[in-house]
Parts: sequence; C-alpha cells; structure tokens
Amino acid sequence: MTASSGDAAADEALAGGATGFDWRRVHPVTPLVRGWVVVVVVVLGFGRQVLEQGAEERDAAVNHLGWVGLGLLALAVVVVGLSWLSWRFTAFALTDDAVHVRRGVIWRQHRKARLDRVQAIDVEQPFVARLVGLAELKIEVAGGSGSAVTIAYLREADARLLRAEVLARAAGVDATVVAAPRVDGAAAPVGPVPVRSDGPAPSDAPAAVVPGLLRVPALEAPEQEVYEVPSGRLVGSTLLTGEAIALLVVLLGVVGLGVATHSLAAAFTMIWVVVGLGSAVFNRFNRGFAFRAATSPDGIRLEHGLTESRAQTIPPGRVQAVELHQPLLWRRNDWWVVRVNVAGYGNSAESKPSSTVLHPVATRHEAFTAVWLVLPDLGTPDPVGVLSEGLGGTGPSDVYTAAPRRARWLDPVAWRRTAFTVTHRALVARTGRLHRRLVLVPHGRTQSLGLRQGPVGRRLGIATFVVHSTPGPVSPQIPHLDGSVARRLLDEQVVRAREARAHDVPERWMRPETAP
Amino acid sequence: MTDRGGARQGSDVFAPPGVEWSRVSDRLIVARYVTAGVPLALLVVVGVVVGVLTGSAWAWAATAVVVLVAVWVAWLVPRQVRAVGYAERDDDLLIRHGILVRRLVVVPYGRMQYLDVQRGPLLRALGLASLQLHTASPGTDASIDGLTADVAEGLRDHLAARGEARLAGL
Repeated sequence: MTASSGDAAADEALAGGATGFDWRRVHPVTPLVRGWVVVVVVVLGFGRQVLEQGAEERDAAVNHLGWVGLGLLALAVVVVGLSWLSWRFTAFALTDDAVHVRRGVIWRQHRKARLDRVQAIDVEQPFVARLVGLAELKIEVAGGSGSAVTIAYLREADARLLRAEVLARAAGVDATVVAAPRVDGAAAPVGPVPVRSDGPAPSDAPAAVVPGLLRVPALEAPEQEVYEVPSGRLVGSTLLTGEAIALLVVLLGVVGLGVATHSLAAAFTMIWVVVGLGSAVFNRFNRGFAFRAATSPDGIRLEHGLTESRAQTIPPGRVQAVELHQPLLWRRNDWWVVRVNVAGYGNSAESKPSSTVLHPVATRHEAFTAVWLVLPDLGTPDPVGVLSEGLGGTGPSDVYTAAPRRARWLDPVAWRRTAFTVTHRALVARTGRLHRRLVLVPHGRTQSLGLRQGPVGRRLGIATFVVHSTPGPVSPQIPHLDGSVARRLLDEQVVRAREARAHDVPERWMRPETAP
Repeated sequence: MTDRGGARQGSDVFAPPGVEWSRVSDRLIVARYVTAGVPLALLVVVGVVVGVLTGSAWAWAATAVVVLVAVWVAWLVPRQVRAVGYAERDDDLLIRHGILVRRLVVVPYGRMQYLDVQRGPLLRALGLASLQLHTASPGTDASIDGLTADVAEGLRDHLAARGEARLAGL
C-alpha cells in the first residue's frame, strides 16, 4: 500500500483536514522529486560562484569555511523543514464516490473529484521520478483546465494499486476489505485478495472498514494485450514526417554551406532550428516508444514512453471521437495515426499531446483494432468494409453519401473524398485527399450539432455539417454536403444522439443496471 | 415576435418546416449601432478635422471610406439582428444567426453544462441581456444576444429545468 495512514489522529489535528476519511500520505521524497531542479540550480550556482571568484576571495572564503558551512547547513535545515511541512500537509483519501486530495500549508486546498465523472486515469512517470521508481496518479474529471486530480508521488507499485482501487470504485464494484495485520511503514503485507472478475464482487466481503484493519482494494482488472508498436516501424514513421525531413534538409544545407564557405557561421545561425526540429522528432519517437494497448473491463489501457512513461486507462464510453489520419508520406506503407478526444485530456493545460494518441503508427489492421477498442460494436454488419472504404474510397457508394459534384468549386482537391455514413452506433466521416482522415463519433457522445453555410455555399446549395466534440485533436465535420442532405443528417443525428444517450453505458460501468 | 417559418431567410436549409422561431428584441439594433457607431463617428470627426486643417485629399478620402463603412453597417445591423432566431423544441434548442455566413446550432437540453446571462451597462440601459449556453464542447457557439431581460431570465430558468430533467453524463 501507499505510505500508511500512520498516526492519523495527530495528523488531522496538525493539518486541520476533514476527519472521517482514511487519509493517506504520498511518498516522503516527493518534495525532492518535485524540486530537484531547484536543488541542482542552487548547487551549480554556488559552485560556479566559488570557482569564478578570484584567488584572494577564494582564500577569504576558505578562511570562512566554517561560516559558509554553517550557512549551508541552515539553508538545508530550512529547505528540509519546509519540504517536510509540505509533505506532511499533502494527503489523499478515497471514499465510495470521490477522491479527496488536500495540500498546502498556508493556502490550503482540498479538492474533491467525483468518481462517476472520471474520464481517464493515468499513472505517469516523469524522467526523474522514473529514475527513483516513483510515479504520479492523475485522475481526469473533465472540469475545465487544471481540473485533474494529481496524487504525486507514490512508489510505482503503489500507484498502480491505487489506480486499481480508484477504478474499481469508479466502476461501481463494491470495495472489498480484507483483514490484514496493520504494519507501519510503506510495506504492508497484503493478505489473500479476492480476484476481481467481470461478475459482481464477492458478497462475503465485509461491507464496512473495520478500524485497525488495512483496507485492500480489488486487484487490477485483468487485461489482454491488443497491439504493440514495433520500434522499427516507429523509427520509420518518425523519419517520414515533415519535421524529420525538414531536419535533414537543414542539416544537409548547413554541411553544404560549411564545406563551401569553410566557416561555421551557417551552423551557428541554424543551431536553434536544428535543436527545435530535433527535439520535435525525438519527442515523437520518445512518446511512441514501446507503445502497447490492451483491453480490460475497466476500458482501454495504453502504456508508452521511453524517458517518461505513462500508463493510461480510459474507461468504457469515455472516448468522444476517434480519428484515423494518414499523412501523405505514410501512404506507401499504409500507416495511420489514431487519435481520440477524451473529455479530461483536452483541456488540462499540462497535458501533453501524447495522451490523446490511441496508436502512433498503425497498420490498416491495427487501425481497425484501435477503432474496435473504442467501438466494440460499430453497429453495422460489415465493419471492415465500412472502415476500408472510409480509409481508401472515393466518390459515393451504397454505403457512403458523398459531397455533390458542385462542391468542387469550393474544394477542388478533396471533394471526391468527402463523404459520410451512419451506422447504428456512430457517424463516420471521410475527408481529405492528401491527408486522408476518417472520423468516427459515437451517437451517444454528440455534444451539439451545427450547420454552416457561406455565401458561395448558399449559391451552390451546399452546407457544412459540424459535430461539436469535447476539446481534443479531433474536430468532426463534413464539409460541402448537399444542403438538403446536410439538413436531414442534422435532424436525424439529433434523434440518434438522444436515443443513444438513453441506452448508454452507465457512468459506473461495472454496476448492474438499476432502475433510476 | 414570432416569425413563422422564417420565410424571409429564403433557403429552407436553415428554416426547417414546423419550427416556430422566436426573434430577439429590435432594441439590439440600437445597442449594436452604439457600439459600432461611436468609434466610427470618432473616426469621421478626426478625419474632418484633419481634412479641414491640412486640406489633404487623403484625409477626405479616408473619411469617405469610413462613412461608406458606416452606411454599410447601418444597412447590415438590422438585417443581422433580424436573422437571429431561436426555437425551443421538446428536447433541444435551435439557434440560428448570420446573413453572409449562416449558422444553425442544435443544443440538446441534456448536454447543457451551464448557462450564462450577461448584461453590460449598455444592454442594461436598454433592458436587454444575452444568454449563452455551454456544453462540454468549446465548439458549441450557442449564444443569444438581445433578449429582453425577463425573457432571458425566464429562458435561463426554463432551459436549466429542462436540462436537469434530461441531464446525461458526458
């Protein structure tokens, strides 16, 4: 378990937090991991000052070594004291319907996140935390920017256990309690734990927390791996991006100029361009490294990252829209990048683009699998046919309704690709000729719908259909449809969205349906 | 103030049959005239003063352009205001606006996260308010300007009640 709830009563008095919760602590080295930059800067700054001083001053400094040492010691005591205080005032607790986190010594913050609003749960390991085996748990609740609840840092195993516990409760599985001897310190031995299955939780587990007993969560839901991205393909796809090619061109140009002019001037002026492009290329590789996806009763699980690693869990029904995208350079290999909109990821300011990637470089088959992860039932008897035509097809067909020929005046390049089809579960929109895109929006995830028509479109009798989705990389729209087709689609989607919402996955996805 | 069928909007794409559109108050025209007119009038005054003092043809030409813009605005604003319409259906709210680029938004009541009623000093003086609907999507461009204050409050409470009855998760 996490650092034990320790001398809870005394802490309550000290921290002044709400009582009645089973408050737990984060790992004691948290302030150090959070503030390692400060430590490094202080050490480096001091060291540099000493080195840069003249000989006399250095002699003087050596004479006063005792004072210097004392000053450093005092500083260290203050820093350690403040860190200890901040650690002491940081705690989290889990109840049946919310996660509570409190922090802050002077400005206290107590954040509560409702479990039925959880959109995604990530276990993240930034570089330094990864070196020391710590991880942070981030619970996204879709409440606007900065609304994620972050619990940092825990030992990695503890973070995963806590994730399982949060997921189990968010899913509506009854928390199970197992009697285990209470042990102070972080390593509490865990007794026999009932393995969580797809069925209802074991009913013989005691319902309430018994004081003095350790509360043990259900084990992590079983997961089954679905795909893994081979490093070779990741490298290849990274090299076939605009950034990588631009980097190559710049590097060749710099070398060429250097050879021609026998000076390094060109290299120096271009260094920031090279650094910028290089980091963009490396980041893409870094984020996609060892990318694995799995399914579990708790939803989609993703794990990836080289220097920073991240394990994401997206519960069922939380994906708002999926996009399969193929840049021009990837067409030869038929590779696709799969991105999703998830309510919590899009609007948290600190979230990185990596969290919205469902597959960094998928073969066609894997792309279908990724869609299947989001929409296990596409709502059509021939899902592969529908998707294949969506990926490669042009023009109208039995399945797809395409933009009319007169749309070429507004979109001469891609008008033939623009088309849509509707299954029982989702709206499927096909767009883009150079950059091919296929967007799927589950009917139940439609926020609002719109139509747009400019002056030219009005003359031509065509209109653009827009689905408003939560913030994220996917913005579903079907441009330049025939006016009456767009209008009918709007009316039909309104009804479909309403019906789909009525029969949706419940917010607590493991709880048996009960009449409201 | 109900404009049945929205016949003046021409194309039927943005005016489906069987929908009764409510229009916003014509006092919004006054509000828009003031917000657009004050800077334009200032520009005209500056242009005339500069033109008289320097006798420069450029100053007069610039003033003429500003006057043309003002005439265009005077022609456009009433049409824009009259193009705004909203309709409460059983399960959703329709909002349409725009003349040159026309937009229609359908917001299901169950998807509304919160509602804003805003009244600036100018709108307050005219007894107007604007209502904005927010869903979980930033793309939902659903605001109705120029409602009279009591209509706005009533609509807000009405919509909130309907939203509560149909509230769904994300």
